Amino acid sequence: MNKNDWILIIIIIFISFSLLLFFKLTNQESNQALVYNDNKLILTIDLTKDDKYQVMGLNGEVDIEVKNNQIRVTSETSNYHLCSKQGYISKSWETIVCLPNKIIIRVTSLDQNYDVILR
Amino acid sequence: MKKIITLFFLLLLTGCQDQVFSKDLFYMNTYINIKIYHHDQELVNKTFSDIEQIYQKYDQLCDRYKKHEYNLYYLNNELEKNQEIEIDKRLYDLLKVSKDYYLKTNKFFSIALGNVTDVWTNNKELPSYEELKASGSTDLDDIMLKENYIFSKNSDVSLDLGGIAKGYVNNIIKEYLHDKGIKKYLITSGTSSILIGEHYQNEKYRVGLINPLESEKIYKVLKLNTNSISTSGTIDNYYEFSGEKYSHIINPFTLYPDNYSLSVTVIAPDPILTEVLSTTLVLLPIEEGKKLAEKYDVEVIWFTKDGIIETEGIKNYE
Repeated sequence: MNKNDWILIIIIIFISFSLLLFFKLTNQESNQALVYNDNKLILTIDLTKDDKYQVMGLNGEVDIEVKNNQIRVTSETSNYHLCSKQGYISKSWETIVCLPNKIIIRVTSLDQNYDVILR
Repeated sequence: MKKIITLFFLLLLTGCQDQVFSKDLFYMNTYINIKIYHHDQELVNKTFSDIEQIYQKYDQLCDRYKKHEYNLYYLNNELEKNQEIEIDKRLYDLLKVSKDYYLKTNKFFSIALGNVTDVWTNNKELPSYEELKASGSTDLDDIMLKENYIFSKNSDVSLDLGGIAKGYVNNIIKEYLHDKGIKKYLITSGTSSILIGEHYQNEKYRVGLINPLESEKIYKVLKLNTNSISTSGTIDNYYEFSGEKYSHIINPFTLYPDNYSLSVTVIAPDPILTEVLSTTLVLLPIEEGKKLAEKYDVEVIWFTKDGIIETEGIKNYE
């Protein structure tokens, strides 16, 4: 092997590792939030996409926002607005409970031992 | 230098790999999530909009409560006139398949329970058998289908396609994706039926089955590829009277939710079959259910009060 071959090998190794790192960093598709209404799962939200959602609670609409892999309630119909005051959650099993509306939002990590649930 | 350039192009090629595209829809009272793994974004977007159109059309056709052109609401009203009724060809085909399954399941799978489910849904107190019986006919034998026309011998039958529509539409979508050459997908309709394509990394999708008694716990994980799986049971859908829960799956003979299982999960390639049989098997004693499962070559998990019973083939999915 001459010098150029060694350079080639080093370049390939470098590119491979940077690609690996790139995909590890960008591929954070492991998080989702589950929205329950009165204990029934009504919506699965992908936390990697910034978006807004609206679900119907017992008292009226509950607005949900996803931003930077975090999720929060922006507005709801209730006396104390406890769940919009709670702000963002993002860690696995963190939960927002909108008691008067019977809406529960739970963050789950997809790197569990299943991809999808059935009930 | 030549080598380096060639290698660089090879690396570029690997960058042109499948990506995940996801779309959420709400039709037929169900949240639907579609995931497609493909490299061609344009094709995927076209596919998403075509699939949405299919759902939208069948959502209207199967609507019991709102009138759309020649849909189910229209049909239920026209039945009262005792004459031949022309309906949308697509709805006719769906009714034909439904009636076939009615006969194949010894009349346990019935789409003629609309009157009874209305009583169960709207009553303030637990309805009596007399009340249910008086709500109107539940006899699907009275409905005749012939050459795109419907005729009813009984004017007050009310049809309800809730038990089959999702599976039927999934089958249409399965064929559509097959025609388009899209193989890697996962379509979740609500939390009770999933249409499964090839896995995006040549592995298998892991489907967690929720324990009907403890809704936070998963009692089993199945590994599936190119298949369809449906669950029916009491966990998400029930009627409640003075604190007591009653399953939404009504026995067409007793008009009561006489369920032998808390939940039944069915696996087969045909999404109509899994949808229909999961509902039917909840109403049958296990031994009778096993015969039906064998006849249609499906794999089944029964979750009963006394434990979990499985068909032989389930172990291939563990």
